[in-house]
Amino acid sequence: MSYDDLRSYLAALDRQGQLLHVTERVDPEPDLGAAANAANRLGERAPALYFDNVTGFESARIAVNAHGSWANHAIAFDLPPETPTRDQVREFIRRWENFPVAVERRQDPPWAENTLDGAEVNLFDVLPLFRLNDGDGGFYLDKAAVVSRDPEDPDNLDRQNVGTYRMEVKGTNRLGLQPVPMHDIALHLDAAERRGEDLPVAVALGNDPVISVVAGTPLGYEQPEYEMAGALRGAPAPVSRAPRTGLDVPWGSEVVLEGVIESRERELEGPFGEFTGHYSGGRNMPVLRVDRISHRTDPIFESLYLGMPWTEVDYLIGPATCVPLYQQLRADFPEVRAVNAMYTHGLLAIVSTGRRYGGFARAVGLRAMTTPHGLGYCKTVIVVDEDVDPFDLPQVMWALSTKVNPARDLVNLPNMSVLELDPGSQPPGITNKLVIDATTPVAPDERGHYGQPVTDLPESAAWIDRLTTLLAERGGDR
Amino acid sequence: MNTTHGGTGQPAPTTVCPRCAAAEFDELAVSPVPGVWRVLRCDRCLYSWRTTEPARRSSRAAYPERFRMSRRDIDEAPHLPPVPDIREDTPGGDR
Repeated sequence: MSYDDLRSYLAALDRQGQLLHVTERVDPEPDLGAAANAANRLGERAPALYFDNVTGFESARIAVNAHGSWANHAIAFDLPPETPTRDQVREFIRRWENFPVAVERRQDPPWAENTLDGAEVNLFDVLPLFRLNDGDGGFYLDKAAVVSRDPEDPDNLDRQNVGTYRMEVKGTNRLGLQPVPMHDIALHLDAAERRGEDLPVAVALGNDPVISVVAGTPLGYEQPEYEMAGALRGAPAPVSRAPRTGLDVPWGSEVVLEGVIESRERELEGPFGEFTGHYSGGRNMPVLRVDRISHRTDPIFESLYLGMPWTEVDYLIGPATCVPLYQQLRADFPEVRAVNAMYTHGLLAIVSTGRRYGGFARAVGLRAMTTPHGLGYCKTVIVVDEDVDPFDLPQVMWALSTKVNPARDLVNLPNMSVLELDPGSQPPGITNKLVIDATTPVAPDERGHYGQPVTDLPESAAWIDRLTTLLAERGGDR
Repeated sequence: MNTTHGGTGQPAPTTVCPRCAAAEFDELAVSPVPGVWRVLRCDRCLYSWRTTEPARRSSRAAYPERFRMSRRDIDEAPHLPPVPDIREDTPGGDR
């Protein structure tokens, strides 16, 4: 069963014991940010949190940590909450194969019930905004889907982009927006600014859980996110036309903002505690002017805590980063078995692959760096043999500790591109990148003493079953 | 919870921006429940804060050194992304 909106997802989390409704009164700061931060420290079964009793507000409804555990990520994909991480990634890959799934256009979206236009627009009247981290420059929208089109080709819906970008609330109708150069909205904005035009945008807040995932997935420029959402949901994504801009937005959103990114404007933004575990900013960034707000009656404001990993964002974009890298590598190199790029949005990635010949594994590592996402991430790529599971970090550490001879296994590339938020880059946006070849050397790269590996005994698989049965029987006796 | 100042029932007064010490700021919002908090925004560094936030976020004296911004920090903040050149063959090319 797929969810058509945030509310039905929250209800499903609640049914599975994965939503905690905090009924006692809390302060907007520091309580909401601190509670969301704390939820990230509760482990793999951490619940989403729901607040509706917040000091000074009359009717705030706030959801945080909706994706913030493996259990919740599984429920978002309608999988059993105990589904192991690697199986969730495997299922993501399986559903990806169904791309594209055409959208379902629906009339009468619930967010059309209420409208604020022009001078009536006031973000504070609709959204119970709050600060997350101490050093943040203000209150942020950090889990919204921002929709834009290519100004050079506005009727091409394959180029309609749906992405998540941090937005600082800087006025009643004014947002700062960070377009990372590697992301599609930066291409749209660049084209608009070269034409001296504003870029129309729609901002959809409070969405079904798969929309939030695809908005954070590094898809190709002409891979439409809504059609990927259809594949991942197993049902067409319901969309509706935003009335002012004509952009496609999710039918089920809680709130839809419409406006423009003002052409050639920059204004101080940030800092903001980022997914890198460091603050970034303040820098002069583009400005989004909100001209219309549409919203459900009694909308739920969804937000996400991020800071020192792991936080909700790491669950939200973890598998969503692994799978496009896997698919893009597999397109050229079918020997690739698995990709784990869940660390800091893939600033570090682990790839397992078969080897055709000596030097092949490092070529796979280099290819990861030249995928669209890799241009801004993949600062370190660890390549391991096909029988090493990149999601099993003890196995990866074994490969690193035994298969790597730094004399021959490191490829250190100077002056490569990376997103400016990487705190190690210098100047920001430029870094060396490193491939660590932790595979077993094969001909003609013959070196080391790897000819006598100790393997599990052939009978051990049967013994695993036997011991498991015995343990279960013993458990039954108790 | 620290929503009032000195038991007066009024939000705590703010005289300067906690982050950059500028004296000019705008009121962005007031609490839907009257008199509980206000949201202010500095005119110079655009820092915004709720008057009921902990002192480390809402008071210049308690605002951490590492998050403060000087006039120079503000003036020298980089532009990201840089504003591109105007294309000469577009209607907006004469701007």
